[in-house]
Amino acid sequence: MSRETFRRNRLVRLRAGFRGMLLALLLPWLGACSMGQMVARTSESIMDGSLDAMNRETDLMLAASAIPANIKLIEGLIAEDPHNPQLLVYATQAFYGYAFGFVELDDPQRADALYARGVQYGTRALREQGFDIDLSRTTPDDLDPALGKLGKSAVPALFWTASSWAKQIDLNRTEPGRIAQLGSVERLMHRVQDLDADFYYGGAHLFYGVYYGGRAPMLGGDYTKAAQAFADARRVTGGKLLIVDVLQAEYLERQRLDAVAFRQLLTAVIDTPPGTFPEMALANQIARRRARVLLDSQDDWF
Amino acid sequence: MSTTPWLRTLLSLLLLLSAGVQAAPDYLIKFATLAPAGSTWMNLLQDWDNALRQRSRDRIGFKFYPGGVQGDEPEVLKKMRFNQLQGGAFTGYGIGRMYSPARVMELPFLFRDAEEVDFVRTQFDRTFRDGFSAQGYELLGWMEVGFVHMFSTEPLRALEDMKARRVWLWQGDPLGRAFFDASGISPVPLSIIDVYTSLSTGLIDTVYAPPLGAIALQWFTRTPYVSSVPMTNGMGALVVSKAFYDELPADLQALLKETGREAGEKLIAATRVDNRKSLNTLKEYGLTFVEPGEGMSEKALIDLRDRAAAKLVESDYIPAAVFTRTRSLLQQFRDGQTGNDVPPQP
Repeated sequence: MSRETFRRNRLVRLRAGFRGMLLALLLPWLGACSMGQMVARTSESIMDGSLDAMNRETDLMLAASAIPANIKLIEGLIAEDPHNPQLLVYATQAFYGYAFGFVELDDPQRADALYARGVQYGTRALREQGFDIDLSRTTPDDLDPALGKLGKSAVPALFWTASSWAKQIDLNRTEPGRIAQLGSVERLMHRVQDLDADFYYGGAHLFYGVYYGGRAPMLGGDYTKAAQAFADARRVTGGKLLIVDVLQAEYLERQRLDAVAFRQLLTAVIDTPPGTFPEMALANQIARRRARVLLDSQDDWF
Repeated sequence: MSTTPWLRTLLSLLLLLSAGVQAAPDYLIKFATLAPAGSTWMNLLQDWDNALRQRSRDRIGFKFYPGGVQGDEPEVLKKMRFNQLQGGAFTGYGIGRMYSPARVMELPFLFRDAEEVDFVRTQFDRTFRDGFSAQGYELLGWMEVGFVHMFSTEPLRALEDMKARRVWLWQGDPLGRAFFDASGISPVPLSIIDVYTSLSTGLIDTVYAPPLGAIALQWFTRTPYVSSVPMTNGMGALVVSKAFYDELPADLQALLKETGREAGEKLIAATRVDNRKSLNTLKEYGLTFVEPGEGMSEKALIDLRDRAAAKLVESDYIPAAVFTRTRSLLQQFRDGQTGNDVPPQP
């Protein structure tokens, strides 16, 4: 027997033994959940790793090609384990990230449909937290008592649902029914701020930067609050998350017609050396690309 | 080998490239509006620009400043005077600062429906266009913000109910002031910026807005009651400065007015659709539509309107002749509709 054959046989025996041990360990579960659910639950840590690897990706084309497959994998796992709150949050986050990073600028209609799927998963994730309210027809005042019952474990579901929902409204400004929902989205994000203000690299601060910066004061905007929110978001990562500067330029500086600040922020984003924030490299690459698109359009706005 | 296919390819490429690059027109209209980017209004304004550029072969076109980025309407008018902007889309608030007689169209409890509005506006079209022109503006097209309803924290069935409420008045609006003075209501004058917060704190508990406005500004989340009977019809106008307009060649002047009129008609139609949708949205959110009680009879409302009009006539904000003609036109329209078989309305 060659050394190679011996090594292969040993590997096969080891794998068989490992499978047996794993089965023994998992046997108590089998009565409570299906094999599919078991696989789905054991996949959560893999999904964690996968998400981390995706966040570190620097090649936009590779990420754009890989994310749809990951989304389908998550959806497949959810089909096996439909009440798994973690997988439901992953799905919400994945749809948001893919739509925002790779679809919205080129195909807003498709992005809208993707955000809608994110909201559906997010709503299901919130339901698993005991929050069972029809978000589309609830006034902010009705939402607050139910939101008040949610604890910190609900923050990821709240944050990604609100983020996807806000984008849906943003892409449907012709629809009064959608515009009416804006106040409710704000209440969800307000609860995120109450529970964990700096969650996901200060994402809620970023939301408020856009929320107050993207409208004229007479339509509900507030430039001082917007500038403060962007500053708070910048503080969380020490200025390393470049999308903060991009969104400040895109919303606040455009709205207050400050062409100089607009150009300065976006040029600085493009000039920031790669590798500044390895754990969020993909987000920063997306930010750079968005900065270039915005700079190309500046003559339309100023 | 023939060179024709190569030439054809080259020409196609050049055409494609030129189509992708929008050349600056000879005459650029920097045009401001409060309508947010992506809204129905902005989309239709964009269509107007496309039509204008296409029909003028890119000799004239717009550069839009949406979402109030150029400031509120008084600020936009100031920038138009300094030629920093050449035009804008205005609500009655801004129109009152250009040519106030046109605001006869916004007198409270004047029109029963959109058909009446259309009829009177059409009859006044020439007069109002001349009026704008005399004040240094060219009216290109009409718009509408739509029928304005009262939104309140308590049901309002009579004028007496309103006297007990803390009613918002849009600061600096003579027409709103005249209405409240005539009603015997002491309103709370506030900038529109402060309305939502003031509804939350209780400084005010009653506001007025078209349905889409109440939704866009989120006021509806603080006011469970809406008046079924609108108090007025909010108007709007597409305007450029006369100084800019006078510099245009005659053919572009005509084209700008023709396309402006078309754009205005589309904007009015779309606004009415949006407001109908908005009323449905308000119902879906559970707002209660309050029918007027005995204290708000048609006669009481017409008396109120006439008292408000008298104040505006007195200050010459709306000339007496314009108000008289409006009533007469309205009567003419109602007579035509009903075959004159009912007693004349005031």
